[in-house]
This record gives sequence, C-alpha cells and structure tokens, in this order.
Amino acid sequence: MKVKEKKWIRFRIYAVTTFFLLGFGAILARAYQLQVIERDYLRGTAENGIIGTTKLPPERGTIYDREGNELALSVQVGSVFAHPKQIKEKKKTARQLSRILGEKKTRILKLLRRDRSFVWIKRRISPILTQQMSDLKMDGIGVTTETRRYYPCREIAAHLIGFSGADNQGLEGLEKRYDDSLKGPQHRLIRMRDALGRSFSINRTDRSGRGMHHLILTIDKEIQYKAQQALKIAVKKTRARGGHCIVVNPETGEILAMAVVPEFNPNAFSKYRPDQWRNRIVTDCFEPGSTLKAFLLAASLEESVVTPLSQFHCEEGAYKVGGRVVHDTHKYGKLSVSDIIVHSSNIGAIKIGQKLGYAKFSDYLKNFGFSSKTGVDLLGERKGFIREAEKARTIDRATLFFGQGMTATSLQLTMAMAAIANGGKLMRPYVVKKIVDESGGVVKETCPKVVRRVISTRTAKRVVEVLEGVVGSEGTAPKAAIRGFRVAGKTGTSQKVDPKTKRYSNSKYVAIFVGFVPVERPKLVILALIDEPKGVAYGGLVAGPVFRDVGSWSLNHLKVNPQPDLLAVAEAKAKALVSDTPKDSGNSAKSEEVNKIAGELRLGLLPDFRGMGMREVLKRGRALGLKVSLKGSGLAVKQKPEAGSPLNAVNSVSVSFNPPG
Amino acid sequence: MLDRRLIQNFDWVLLLLLLFEAGISILNLYSATYPIRDLGGLEIFTKQIYWFLIGFTVFFLMTTFNYYVLERLAYPVYFFTIALLILVLIVGKVMSGSQRWLSLGPISFQPSELSKIAIVLILAKFFSERGENREYRLRDLWQPFVLTAIPCFLILKEPDLGTALFLGMISISVVLIAKVYWKSLIIFGCSFFLAAPLIWFGLKEYQQKRVLSFLSPGMDPLGAGYHINQSKIAIGSGQFWGKGFLEGTQTRLHFLPEQHTDFAFSVLAEEWGLIGSVVLLLIYLFMILWGLNIAKSSKDRFGSMVAVGIVTIVFWQVVINVGMVTGLLPVVGIPLLLFSYGGSSLISTMAAMGILMNISMRRFMFQ
Repeated sequence: MKVKEKKWIRFRIYAVTTFFLLGFGAILARAYQLQVIERDYLRGTAENGIIGTTKLPPERGTIYDREGNELALSVQVGSVFAHPKQIKEKKKTARQLSRILGEKKTRILKLLRRDRSFVWIKRRISPILTQQMSDLKMDGIGVTTETRRYYPCREIAAHLIGFSGADNQGLEGLEKRYDDSLKGPQHRLIRMRDALGRSFSINRTDRSGRGMHHLILTIDKEIQYKAQQALKIAVKKTRARGGHCIVVNPETGEILAMAVVPEFNPNAFSKYRPDQWRNRIVTDCFEPGSTLKAFLLAASLEESVVTPLSQFHCEEGAYKVGGRVVHDTHKYGKLSVSDIIVHSSNIGAIKIGQKLGYAKFSDYLKNFGFSSKTGVDLLGERKGFIREAEKARTIDRATLFFGQGMTATSLQLTMAMAAIANGGKLMRPYVVKKIVDESGGVVKETCPKVVRRVISTRTAKRVVEVLEGVVGSEGTAPKAAIRGFRVAGKTGTSQKVDPKTKRYSNSKYVAIFVGFVPVERPKLVILALIDEPKGVAYGGLVAGPVFRDVGSWSLNHLKVNPQPDLLAVAEAKAKALVSDTPKDSGNSAKSEEVNKIAGELRLGLLPDFRGMGMREVLKRGRALGLKVSLKGSGLAVKQKPEAGSPLNAVNSVSVSFNPPG
Repeated sequence: MLDRRLIQNFDWVLLLLLLFEAGISILNLYSATYPIRDLGGLEIFTKQIYWFLIGFTVFFLMTTFNYYVLERLAYPVYFFTIALLILVLIVGKVMSGSQRWLSLGPISFQPSELSKIAIVLILAKFFSERGENREYRLRDLWQPFVLTAIPCFLILKEPDLGTALFLGMISISVVLIAKVYWKSLIIFGCSFFLAAPLIWFGLKEYQQKRVLSFLSPGMDPLGAGYHINQSKIAIGSGQFWGKGFLEGTQTRLHFLPEQHTDFAFSVLAEEWGLIGSVVLLLIYLFMILWGLNIAKSSKDRFGSMVAVGIVTIVFWQVVINVGMVTGLLPVVGIPLLLFSYGGSSLISTMAAMGILMNISMRRFMFQ
C-alpha cells in the first residue's frame, strides 16, 4: 500500500510539474512577445510619451570666395520659447515679454494660451535681448541658441549665392543647389516630460551627426564688387531696367564675378520681389544681336568660305530679303569681312552668312554652346533657342547672322566668347571650386573641363585679330578699350520683342559688349549687358565702359602688368584727343602728366616719387602696374626700391611719407 | 534540537535561491524608489532591507523544530488566522478604500498573508489524516470547502478580491493533487462556469472595470487600462538588453503605477530587458521545481502535502503577478513574492520557505 501511495504522489507531482512548466512557459512567452516582438512599437510609445522634440534649424557650412573671404556664414543667435502649460499667470508673463521683446502683447498672449507644451515666442533675437531674457528667469520661459544665416557682404554675389530660409534651408541660388552639402548637424531641442506632462530637462541638444561642408567659390569678392559697382553706375546713368556683368577666366571656365542689377540684400530677402532674386545671367534669355557676328566670322573662317579680306557689297544700308528690308546704322558700299565685323554691318553679315549657309551656321552656334545648357553648377539655367533649318523662313535665314530670331543667356554668350579667346575650346563654366569638410579636407574639387573644341587655334587667332578692331577708334566700341592692354570683343544692340505687340520694339533695346583682355594671353572674358537703356542704346557706348572699368580694375587686382608701349600709344592718342577737343581745356595739365607716365614707361625705370602726395604716388604707381604700399602721411620722403630700378624687375613699391615742414 | 545530521542535510540550494532572490529584489527596489527617494523612497528601501533581515530570522526559526509540530498546530493556527481576519474587519486600518491592515505598534500587518500558510497547513492535515489511497467525491470535500470559504469570505469583506481568489486557487490546487474522483471534477467545473455570471454581478464596479480592461486594454488607455498599458510599455521598451540600471524612463517618470509593489517586475523588465526577466523567472521556476522535489522525497504524506501547497503559493503568485503586469491576466493586487515591497507578504513567504526548508532537512530522517 505504501508503495502504491508513493507512486501516486510521484505521478501527481509530475503532473503538477508539467502544469507549472506550462504556466511559466506562458509568462516567459509573454515576456518574449513584449520585449522582442512588440519592442519597437512599445519603445516608440514609451518615447512618445516622454520625449518631445523640436528641431532646431541645422547648422550650415560657410561659403567662401576664392581668397577665403566669407560670403555666407552662420551665426549664433538667441530664440525665446515658452511652455504654455506651465505658465499660470499668462497675462502677466505676456506683458513682461512684450515689454522686453517689443512684440504685441496680444500676439504673445495668444501663443501662451495655445494648448501646446512648446511654442516659439520670438526667434533670432539680438545678443543683448538674449542676455536680458536669460537673466529674467521666468517660469515656463526659456532661451536657446540657434544658428542664423548671415551674409556679411550684403548684395555682393547675392544672386549667385541666393539665401536660406527661416529653418536654414537653402531657398535660392547656391544655398539651394548645394543644400545637401552645406546642411550641417541638426540640433534638437529635447523635452522630457513626466506622466503629468510637466517638462523637465530641456535644451539637451543632440547632434544628428551629419557632417557640414563649406563651399569655396571661384568668385573673387573684389572683382565681384567692382563688377556690381560699375554695372550699377552704368544702369543708373542710362536709366536702364537692369544689367548683367560676368567675368570668366577663359582658360578654365572659372566664373570670377557674376553681377546682376538691380541688386537685393539676402539678409532681408523677403523685402524684395521674387523676380529680383533670380540670377538672370542663367535664367533669362535674350537675343544676342550683333555679338553673334563674332561667331559668324569664326565659323566662316573655319569653313574657309571667306578670308578677312574678302569683299562684300553692303547695299548702301538697305537690303531687301524675304519681303523685309534690313538696314544698317551707317551706309556702306564695299566692305571687307574684317570691316563688316568692326563696323557691325548687318547687310554684310547676311552676305557672309549666305556663303556659309544657315544650317552650317546654326551647327556652329550649337557647337559654341548655344541652345544647350552650359552645365554650370547653378539652378534654373535656360537653354535658349535656335530655329531649326527646316522651320526657318527666308527672313529667319537672314536675320540669324546678325543675332535676331535666336535667344541665349548671358552665360552662354560669355562662354562662347571665351572659346574664341582661349584658342577654340568651349569650357564648362563653374562657380564652386571646392567643397571642403569641417577640418578643411577637400571633399570635391571641380576641375576645368573642355566641353569640345569648336574652332582651330589658327582660326581663333584670326578672329581675335578682327575683333581687336572693334575696340579701335574705327570700331563700334572704342569706349571698351583698356589703356595699356590689347582688347578684343564685339558689341551688340538688339531690339527687344514687345510682349504686347509681339513685334520688335523701337524703344526697348539690350546693349551688350562681350570681350576679353589681354589679347595675347586672355586672362578675363567680360560680358556687360544693359537691359533697356534710355537714350543712346548702342552696346559699345552703353556696355563698353562697364567692360573697360571692370577689366582695367580686375587686371590691376590680378597684377597683370600693362604693356608699356601700348600705354604710350594710348597716351599719344589721349593727347591727340585733348587737342582735338578744346573745350576740355582743363585737361592740358593732365596730358602733361600722362606724357610723363608714358615717358617713364618708355624708359622702363622706376620713377622718383619723392615730394609727391599720397594720391599722386598711388595713381602713378598703379598706372605702372605696381602694388603700392604707403606708410605715414604727408609728402613722400623715401621709397623702396630706389628710383631708377628697372620696372620689369619690380612688382611692388613701398613709399614712406612725412608731413611737410 | 539541531543535531549534526540536520546540519548535514541543510538545503543550501534553497537558501542560495532565496538569497539570490533577495539581492535582485533589493537592487530593483532601489531603482524603483529612486525617483522618489527624497519623498520617502529611501525609507521604503531601507525598510525592505530590515524586512528581509526579519524574514531570514523567521526563515531560520521555522527550521528549528520538527514540522510534525505543525500538523498538531494546524487547527490553532487556522483559528488564530480567522480571529485576526475578523479583527481586521473591526479595528483594521483603512487604506485606499479597503480594510486590510492590522496595526501592531509601529508596524502594520496583513492577516490575509498569514491565511495562505494556514490554509495550506489545514488542508495538508485534512488530506494526510484521511485514507491513503481514496478518491474524494464532492460530498467528501465539504470540509475543505468550508475551511477555505471562511477566510475567503472574510478577505472578500475587506475587500481584497485578489487575495480571496488566490486563496481559493491554492485550495483547489491542493485538493486536485489530493486525488478527486473524476466525475466530481466535472460537476465541480460545470458549477464553476454556472456561477461565473453570479460572481460577475457580485463584483464591485471597479472590479468589473478591471476585468473589462483586461479583456480589451486599448479601450480606455487613460482610464482603467492605463496601468496595464503603461506596464506593457515599460516591459516592451526594455527590449532584449534593457535600458540599464536606473535608466528606465517609465519608472523614472512615474508612468508606472505601484512600481515598488505590484509592478516591481515591470521596473526590472524595463531596466534589464528580456535577459533580466528570464533570469528572474528561471529562479522562481527552479525554486518551484526544487520545492516539488522536496515534496516528492518527503518521507510522509503531510510533509509532501505542505511542500506542494507552498510550491503552489509560489507558482500562483508568480504567474498571477507576472501575468497581470504583462497584460495576460486582469489587474488584481497580488504582489510578486520575495520581490515586491511589503513586509507582511515577505514575512509570511519567508515563513513558508522556512517550513519548506524544514521539510527538506528532515526528509532523510526516520523516526
């Protein structure tokens, strides 16, 4: 009996054990279910319950010009927030806040009454206010720092750089185009709250860990500034709607300056109309007009259909083609190809073009980069338009040769001219030279890229010889000439199409000059475009001076020495001009001075500056292409190197001054 | 009294399991009371350490006599408990709507905790006195039924539904182990299901709500289902490795209800993850299996019945508590034994463990 009893107990205990194991199995399985299978959902719920985050705008990389000047940077500013749920005396708090921040009390009160655990009261306040606010220590009110985009050079290169918005997101220009690179670590305001919804531990920011990159542009801030200044003056003088000016290095395609007028200040972009933000150099198309004749010449010479000396009859200024009469500004009889370009005869251009053929010419234009994007690293670039040969009427077939009936952007025109300047290679333009990381390591570097060869070096050289005449006294753009340098270029004055009548307007023009300097080894290709100048509209007269000013200043800035013999020629000419125009009587002293400089240049020796005033020293030194550094004030007493040193061995001169007596 | 053989037979495994359990419990309690340590949390923590010290003293006291004594003392203990349960209804301290506590000077005590041991002892005595190998029919079981019903009823009056049900379950478990005639079992089962609706209407409103919220906890996440949802979130967000000691956000930010008592397991699960939960549950399981082993090798029927009864207490408490905090069972106020904060529960559990140790030590002895 005892044994049976024992057995029974054993059996029961095994049964119980099994049951217990099942019970434990159930709760273990449940723990597994919660902690492994549903864990993400449950952890998410836990974090939603306790953590509230507010994203602060991400930090943003700096944009530098090629010399390392900051064009766009991020600065730390304070922002005021509130936890409405924790504020009991809402009215009192609102009153206090409105007194300090200068905001409307009703607006603040409205914010404080919102059923939220977090609201921004005022973002991006001045450092003084930030200090005041953090000293105040009000319940439920806090201040945190966030970054704000700041453009220290204001309007300089604004169209190119664009701007970023309230949340530091790129909205326009390079800021938008390179948003991904510039965007830096995102800080988050993390609010932890307990079961009753009370916030504690705020302002624990958390870096999202993404790296921030800086941009180094090809832009030269100084040249950019000069281009904007010169353009602004020209636009004001001619009471024009606006203008473009581009400076490009023809060898590399680097864009050194890109100016658009009217300007805008990206620090307060919202105060301007959106169309003023546009970088019209790439987004706007216009008819290039006579500037296109430069490419007609290039194509015709390359195809050997003419030589610069081939003669064409220019029909005395009126030529009937396709039921329309084409006019020239001056009446010409027989002109050489070279003269047709220099004098910019439309009829002559048609005659040359007819020998080349419409299709061939449009192929050349396409090779020069027209009607396709240049591939520049900017947003919103347009292609422009060339009518296909099959669709062209007789009149279209004639007008294309002097730049009507097709459109292009300023940048396309500049790059096409750059191709002539550099010996026939079409380059891809670019503005971002380098992308670097926070420690300065290069992430990406843009290399010059040849898109294609358009014409041979020999042809290019012959085209340049002709284009140099444009800037001569016989040409259409003597005002574009830069003293001491050989300049080549082409003017253009194109009628705009009146949007109402859909016909060419008689009062609205675009005046263009696009050229390069120095001719022997071009350093700069510069385009100047004036949109709708009032009064005289000729490209040479209106846009030429912009080219000259920007060109001469930039050459000096880049320390490109002028050629002494050219300077002398220029001075002789200036003298002749002075004697020709007696009303400029005050200029006789000036011409003497000019002669002196020319004489020094001829000698090729450093002049004696002693006894001169600062202004004079600066002027004379600069005219010789020297970098002048000044010390003291008064009259020059000492100079280094000594007077009479050979000029070609001297790059800079330092002059000391002492007050006279 | 304690001869050499007793020392030799000392059950080190059981003691080790208890010490281990006590260690984890204290560590976890530190974390659970950490956020309120300036508001009496530290006091709770130190108090529990004292309770453990007292508990282990009780545990060793329970091993000093032969457990045969308990067979003789079963009825006195039982009636003493009943008297205390009546007393608590008359002079008991009212805390959050129920009268469960007897004040003894500075300390309070829950007689319902003692009733668990009393019921185990009385049933063990009942079944070990009856015939060796008989099958019990329902009419034979009126006595155990009455013996269980009296304390159950008194505890229900406090009211403490959880403990009352728990007591019933222990009783049923012990009866089932004692071999019940299969027809009686069926009748019993059927009558239980018939009684279920009656029980439902006998429940208080808050109790009904708990059952409902157990059936669908998402129904009212901020109301009745709140506790269980927060607990599930805590456990689940611990994931596999846990958030780390003192790093549990649910615990830290008071999302967990009763985090140092009934929901102590959630704290552990949040901070130590699945690893921690499994380790703790395995300790309990090992304790239960060890207890069953003691029951199996006990030399007499009373010993093995008592051992089984104690193991049953452990099993049901663990399963009900963990089932509750993981949302597997409705919310009933059953603490996790040896783990949740609470003096009465700890002392009575340690006493029960002492009895188990007593049986274990004397299983190889012959009179």
